Amino acid sequence: MSKPTGNLGARAPGGWTRRDATHLLWRAQFGASGAEIARATRDGLTKTLDRLLSPQTESGEFQATEPLLREAAYNSGGIGDLKAWWLHRMHYSANPLRERLTLLWHNHFATSNAKVRSVPAMAAQNDLMRRESLGNFRRLLHGMAKDVAMLIWLDSNANRKRQANENFAREVMELFSLGEGNYTEDDIKQAARAFTGWHVRDDAFWFNQLQHDTGDKTLFGNTRNLDGGDVVDLCLAHEACPRFLAYKLLRAFVLETPSAEMIGSLAERIRGHDFEMAPVMRELLASKLFFSDTARHAVIKSPVQLVLGAFRALGGRPNLQAAGQLMAQLGQDILEPPTVKGWEGGRLWITSATLLQRNNFVAALLNNKLGNIDEPAKQPKAGTDFYAELLLARDVPGGRARMEKYFTTASGSRNERLRGLMHLVMTLPEFQLT
Amino acid sequence: MGTRPAALFARAAEQAGKPDPDGRILVLVQLAGGNDGLNTVVPFDNDEYRRQRPSLALGKGAVLRLNDELGLHPSMGGFKELHEDGALAVVQGVGYPNPNRSHFRSMDIWHTARPSVEDKRDGWLGRTFDANTGQIEGKVPAIALGTGRLPLALVSTRVTIPTIKSLKDYQLQMGDGHAGNLRKRRQLMRELANKPATGEAELDFLRRTSVTALDTAARLKKVAGGYKSIGEYPQNGLGQRLKTVAQLIQADLGARVYFVTLNGFDTHADQLGAHTALVTELSTALRAFYNDLKGHGLGQRVLTATFSEFGRRVKENGSLGTDHGVAGPMFLVGDAVKGGIHGAHPSLKDLDQGDLKHHTDFRRVYATMLENWLGWPAKAAVGDAFKPLDLV
Repeated sequence: MSKPTGNLGARAPGGWTRRDATHLLWRAQFGASGAEIARATRDGLTKTLDRLLSPQTESGEFQATEPLLREAAYNSGGIGDLKAWWLHRMHYSANPLRERLTLLWHNHFATSNAKVRSVPAMAAQNDLMRRESLGNFRRLLHGMAKDVAMLIWLDSNANRKRQANENFAREVMELFSLGEGNYTEDDIKQAARAFTGWHVRDDAFWFNQLQHDTGDKTLFGNTRNLDGGDVVDLCLAHEACPRFLAYKLLRAFVLETPSAEMIGSLAERIRGHDFEMAPVMRELLASKLFFSDTARHAVIKSPVQLVLGAFRALGGRPNLQAAGQLMAQLGQDILEPPTVKGWEGGRLWITSATLLQRNNFVAALLNNKLGNIDEPAKQPKAGTDFYAELLLARDVPGGRARMEKYFTTASGSRNERLRGLMHLVMTLPEFQLT
Repeated sequence: MGTRPAALFARAAEQAGKPDPDGRILVLVQLAGGNDGLNTVVPFDNDEYRRQRPSLALGKGAVLRLNDELGLHPSMGGFKELHEDGALAVVQGVGYPNPNRSHFRSMDIWHTARPSVEDKRDGWLGRTFDANTGQIEGKVPAIALGTGRLPLALVSTRVTIPTIKSLKDYQLQMGDGHAGNLRKRRQLMRELANKPATGEAELDFLRRTSVTALDTAARLKKVAGGYKSIGEYPQNGLGQRLKTVAQLIQADLGARVYFVTLNGFDTHADQLGAHTALVTELSTALRAFYNDLKGHGLGQRVLTATFSEFGRRVKENGSLGTDHGVAGPMFLVGDAVKGGIHGAHPSLKDLDQGDLKHHTDFRRVYATMLENWLGWPAKAAVGDAFKPLDLV
């Protein structure tokens, strides 16, 4: 297909700065370390995107630890252990963009263990989302329609021939593919009939033929004996579907309130690539729009981005269980989203209470209460500019001078003064943005 | 008398005890497990009551009489005093059609206000916040105390509602270090947040909220440090949780709704002792809370309401307890309530499968709390069909 144009046209080559690299990494992974920023600054945009988008070999330590954490969760049956497994992946995997997208799809197909009550089913759903994170949304949506955790979550076993349950049929349109206003109540009734008999038995998808309605159904002008797979295909073919996905991607990666024009042009690219996610993400993350002024520092960090991002920037190893609990307190309890709508995010992450808790997290982090971070004094260049660039990558008019003055006049060891400085930088309102 | 400027009228209205509706607060007390309403508000003179409850019926001489037919459990002296002060409303026979006797389902129904469909995506208050995000942006609309998970009633698809265990969760923690450094940093944090608007919408929003958060924490620290309750709180869980609520209200946190729970009402066996302990805790805690708020001049601003997922079976069971029932009373406490008993006590003879029938839908009480108290439309929570009652 032809090259993208307009807002989504490629950023002009040259002029690649450290701040550009920081912007890209904070959005495409969970924060960025000084070493990662330095490498991306050296490598430039194309090479950095190559690395983010193509599979990277995991480190030996990761390969050894990951299966152990997963096994621990299976053995204990505790969802807190599975959260720790996933947070470990987010923080240590050599493929962080895959984890970012997996989290995006978890929010899109928001399923909670509070009802599913099965570590293996939640893990299997997570695997599906990761497999298709840079794969294809078409396969992902088809997979979700048969995913065990999803079937339990949306009461599929109650969807029977004589008594259809509309839960999944409604959400597949409202939340998973089209968005409100793009279907009718009758569409939902028809689709629910097509999904009758899509049940779970012995912890696996089971087509319960006796409970499947084989009569004709009419959806979006198509009348025949539709089954669940046909409904998914009809949703994917609907013109609203790529627009709905474009809106989600723009809000997660670019800015809070995308314009109709931005949504339209990204939707065109999604359709053009037939829902292949890797080329869509490459175009989006290389676009003029992504590097424009309106997109910089325009997204309020989610609790996961805030907590893992801080650890990553400071070279820290988080206590994964404690980190998971903290994120839950801040409003993002992964694997247990409050409702099927997921987290709306943006300004709704922030209240005076969560903002205090975000600041208290910084104080705890700097006092090594949630895991260890590198000793700041080991960093020869550590100082106001160093931390402002690492953690904010922006100007703070008037702020840097005030913080520098604090740093030079505070009492105590260099380490204590540096920690105080980091504390100030990370409690600035600016730090909540990426 | 000559003419007076409008501002003076406003002040006069305030002094007459009619505060700005934005300042009104609702405190919900969940009695989890299914409170035995019949042994809480007791039809002491009713023969059927004695016949159905040969071991559990409370004595005519022991109950604390509200009128010639009804009396409070003998351990609810606090409620009796509230009644005498005109600060207690008893709403009789509350429930909903086609009652469900499962704890979980019935509690979900009370929390979601959706008896006919199983849809747990949000709660009745959460939906109300969602419909009013413009008014509550950056503020904390509600706080749940002492619960691990956010109660479903407060679950919103758009707004983050904090659950806190204690006041510590609402303080600014500075970490270790020289006191002088900490003091300077605390000051600098506020200065660096308190900047004029930039035109960057998200940053401006974060700055405003930061200043509010830091100021609230400072105020709360001051209040908590020097907090003197008016009167003593009982040394029980509910009493201590309500004391924390009183401190948060004192600090002018801005939350409109507080949610606390008292567990243990599922009294299937040996009910007398357990139920006595529970209603004692309820009665002493709410009385102390009321006195404290009133002493701080907040009696007109706070309405406290109790609810439980169901009442209990009229006939006692074979193990000196009671099984899951249906209708039960709700209690409303505060200076703004219309004190007294609202509605008839449900008949003990005209039963639904052995249970008291409800005559007042709980959604009407919710509509009352929303429209007549908090000043928010009840539509998002309960639809159009449930009209407020004359309770506040």
